[in-house]
Amino acid sequence: MVSDSPSAAVPAISIENLRFQYGEKQVIHDVTLDIPSREITAFIGPSGCGKSTLLRCFNRINDRIPGARVTGGSIRVAGIDIARPDLDLQTLRRRVGMVFQKWNPFPKSIFDNVAYGLRIHGEKDRSALEERVEYCLRRVALWDDVKDRLKSSAFGLSGGQQQRLCIARTIATRPDIILMDEPCSALDPLSTLKIEELLLELKNDYTIVIVTHNLAQASRCSDKTAFFFLGKLIEHGPTTKIFTKPDQQQTESYVSGAFG
Amino acid sequence: MPDSPTPTSVPADHPFRRKGRSTDGLFRAFFAGNAGLTIVILVLIIVFLVREGAGFFPDYRKELVLYRKAGLEFVDLSRKDLTAHEQMSSLLNRAYYAQVNAACRTEFQRSQEVSAVISYVSDAVAPAQSALERVQERAGEEGVPKELQDSLSAKYKELLAAALAGKPGEGLPPTPHLSSEERRQLLSELEARDPLSSDDPPLVVALQEQLSAKQEQASAPLADFRAAIDAFADASLDLDTLVAETGDTVKATKEAATLHEIEIEKRATLLKAAASAKTEEAKAQFETEARESVTTEPVEFKTALQPVLDRTPDFKAANAALAAALAEVQRKLPASLEDPKAGRYLSAFRKAAGEYERELSDTVPAMAAWKHDAPVGLGSTIMGFITGRDWITGGEWQDFYGIVPLFTGSLLIAVIALSLAIPLGVGAAIYTNQLAGPGEQKFIKPTIEFLQAIPSVVLGFLGIAVLGTILQETSMKDAFSWVPGFPIQQRLNMFTAGCLLGLMAIPTIFSLSEDALNNVPSAFAEASDALGASKLQTIFRVVLPAAISGILAAVLLGLGRVIGETMVVLLVAGNRIEIPDFTEGLGVFFQPAHTLTGIIAQELGEVPFGSVHYRALFVVGMILFAIVLSINWTAQRLLHKFRIGHD
Ligand SMILES: Nc1ncnc2c1ncn2[C@@H]1O[C@H](COP(=O)(O)OP(=O)(O)OP(=O)(O)O)[C@@H](O)[C@H]1O
Ligand SMILES: [Mg+2]
Repeated sequence: MVSDSPSAAVPAISIENLRFQYGEKQVIHDVTLDIPSREITAFIGPSGCGKSTLLRCFNRINDRIPGARVTGGSIRVAGIDIARPDLDLQTLRRRVGMVFQKWNPFPKSIFDNVAYGLRIHGEKDRSALEERVEYCLRRVALWDDVKDRLKSSAFGLSGGQQQRLCIARTIATRPDIILMDEPCSALDPLSTLKIEELLLELKNDYTIVIVTHNLAQASRCSDKTAFFFLGKLIEHGPTTKIFTKPDQQQTESYVSGAFG
Repeated sequence: MPDSPTPTSVPADHPFRRKGRSTDGLFRAFFAGNAGLTIVILVLIIVFLVREGAGFFPDYRKELVLYRKAGLEFVDLSRKDLTAHEQMSSLLNRAYYAQVNAACRTEFQRSQEVSAVISYVSDAVAPAQSALERVQERAGEEGVPKELQDSLSAKYKELLAAALAGKPGEGLPPTPHLSSEERRQLLSELEARDPLSSDDPPLVVALQEQLSAKQEQASAPLADFRAAIDAFADASLDLDTLVAETGDTVKATKEAATLHEIEIEKRATLLKAAASAKTEEAKAQFETEARESVTTEPVEFKTALQPVLDRTPDFKAANAALAAALAEVQRKLPASLEDPKAGRYLSAFRKAAGEYERELSDTVPAMAAWKHDAPVGLGSTIMGFITGRDWITGGEWQDFYGIVPLFTGSLLIAVIALSLAIPLGVGAAIYTNQLAGPGEQKFIKPTIEFLQAIPSVVLGFLGIAVLGTILQETSMKDAFSWVPGFPIQQRLNMFTAGCLLGLMAIPTIFSLSEDALNNVPSAFAEASDALGASKLQTIFRVVLPAAISGILAAVLLGLGRVIGETMVVLLVAGNRIEIPDFTEGLGVFFQPAHTLTGIIAQELGEVPFGSVHYRALFVVGMILFAIVLSINWTAQRLLHKFRIGHD
């Protein structure tokens, strides 16, 4: 593989021979993949091929689902195997933030949504909270829209605004890695564009992994792309290569729109 | 098409054409009929309640007018002082005895423990002993046959030995306040006791002496206090006689007036019958009967009342005596009492003294201003019902219908029930919904919901037989004497009733809270988890707040259930119609009370149909209906809001 950026030398997440099962059904087969730091990695592939499942392994949010388990291989985040029994799950999740496909702000005020992560980690100082909330909202270009109604419910925002609020909520706790599962799939083109700009802006500080069905989006904003098919990693590499001259026939037909 | 169809009908061969006649209309009518019938029944219930209840206020007002005209109200002005005086002196007495008994507590327990042991042993040897006694009685001159005497004595010895070893029943009662030396002494004294003597063992006598010595010793420093209490209590003697005498007079007036009223009514009925009589003969018969039916003169209230009013100076003097006694006793009260309970009574007395003094000083002006023919307004009748502090029925003096005591009872019981049911119900819901595994869920839910299936009579039974007894026994224990209200005087009280009602409200609160928690979208919890929140943080900061209106609705529906429940309170609450004594602090919950529901269930079957009392119960029913309706309505609103919030 071509490694064009120095920061990619230390992978943020490294996956080795990962296998995963829902109950008796195996959905991920021997995936090995390094996700470089401070870059955007896109997961593409047809529906049901296990992209979300893999993404949800990185912060172990799959633990919430009864019967879901890793049956082989390992995932290392910052060099540590996250399956270790003595791992502090809360700290892991604080370092590996997640933005969901369907925006899901809490039924609380805009301010409280962003401050939530800080509060649960023990921040009580009002002015520190305010400062951080403002910073995050500015970062996601929401501040000017909401600065006069921080106390009102988050449900009063538009879909795109709510998704950006969720991103703000995620970056509030200063994660190193942000996982995004089809963050724009329910948004209009303009909101999508805004979020893509935001991603490019955020990648200076964060490692971002994004699942998307929008190939144009993947080619526009990701540095690396991984293509999955039926639970297997078919091919991965720099985005330009995957989209212009992939090694595998399957990849080629997928990115050219022949199936999927 | 050849025949052009009308624009409203589909052509016969078109697939859109409806085939056959539809039965939709029939089904619609059937279900509409069901819904309509339910609503009609509800309206009929309301109409019925209002119709039966509405007559209450005019009737009650008539009674109150007579109460005033006959002068009962006048006497009650002073009688009220008398009652207050009795309560005040009872407070002082309670303070006094609490102090004395606290000082002799150990001695008292010691002698009780000894008696328990003695009665255990006596019960055990009773068969042999009574046989011995009978034989002795019948024996006469020549004495008892030797062998019979011997065998009975042996039997007695055997039983005694077994009893002293604690064999029968639950064993010898424990004696934690006796030294082991004393216990041994007691047992050996019992062993040595002559089977036929009924004298107490020396230890008992000694302990009794100790107790009375201690009592004397404890009351010696309180002698002045005792004298002051007695003087205070005696100060009401004059007023007592006065109230009794004038009370008889006014009661006679009232009875005469009532009798006259009845006779007049009877005459009116007879005359009406006469007017519609078929034969001349019957008509004449009715008319003579009508003429003879009124035997009494109409009552001249003013003259009848005069002798009572003439004694106003006596009332004034008696009133002054009470005021003087109050001032006197306040001067002589000890500054404080050692025992906390006694101290509480004493300070309750001090607190009440100001109020009582004001009442006393109000009486004389009230007597002067009182007029037997002042009108009784409908408004004040209604207020008297709503704010009345007495629910007195079936007495020969005067019936009062005031719902405050019933309302307070219902309220306090609901408070106990909810403070039990909310933590348990909501807590169980949180656990089941958020923390329990699927196996536990399958077990917990049906089990708690099963509670609902227990008939309330059975629960009431449990309350009387088990809970009340256990509670009372526990309250007697030394270890719990710090609990306010312990030891409990009444086995049946608001606390027991509240506990059982709480038990009944738990399933309602649990199921609905569980639903509310279940309805919280899992995306919220997932987002919170993904931010690194702990399980408890997620529950308490995200899930619970999101479900709060549903949980509130659950609590309100539980409250509705508690307020409307009848059987348990009737059986277990103790049914004392009185405003609980709040001077007991938290101990107030251990007093018996009556409730809005209980009173209806208890009295409706016994009252004469159509009487004022009967109608009063209907008004209570109306109030109950309104309370429960508004609680449920609020709950529905909350639930509605809750659902909309998640669209
Ligand atoms: N909770 C679950 N329980 C059982 N099987 C599941 C569960 N979630 C996903 N699966 C299965 O795992 C496979 C992978 O699902 P996953 O959601 O990871 O696919 P995906 O690539 O994200 O698809 P999409 O692009 O449609 O979101 C699918 O076959 C799916 O049916
Ligand atoms: Mg997916």
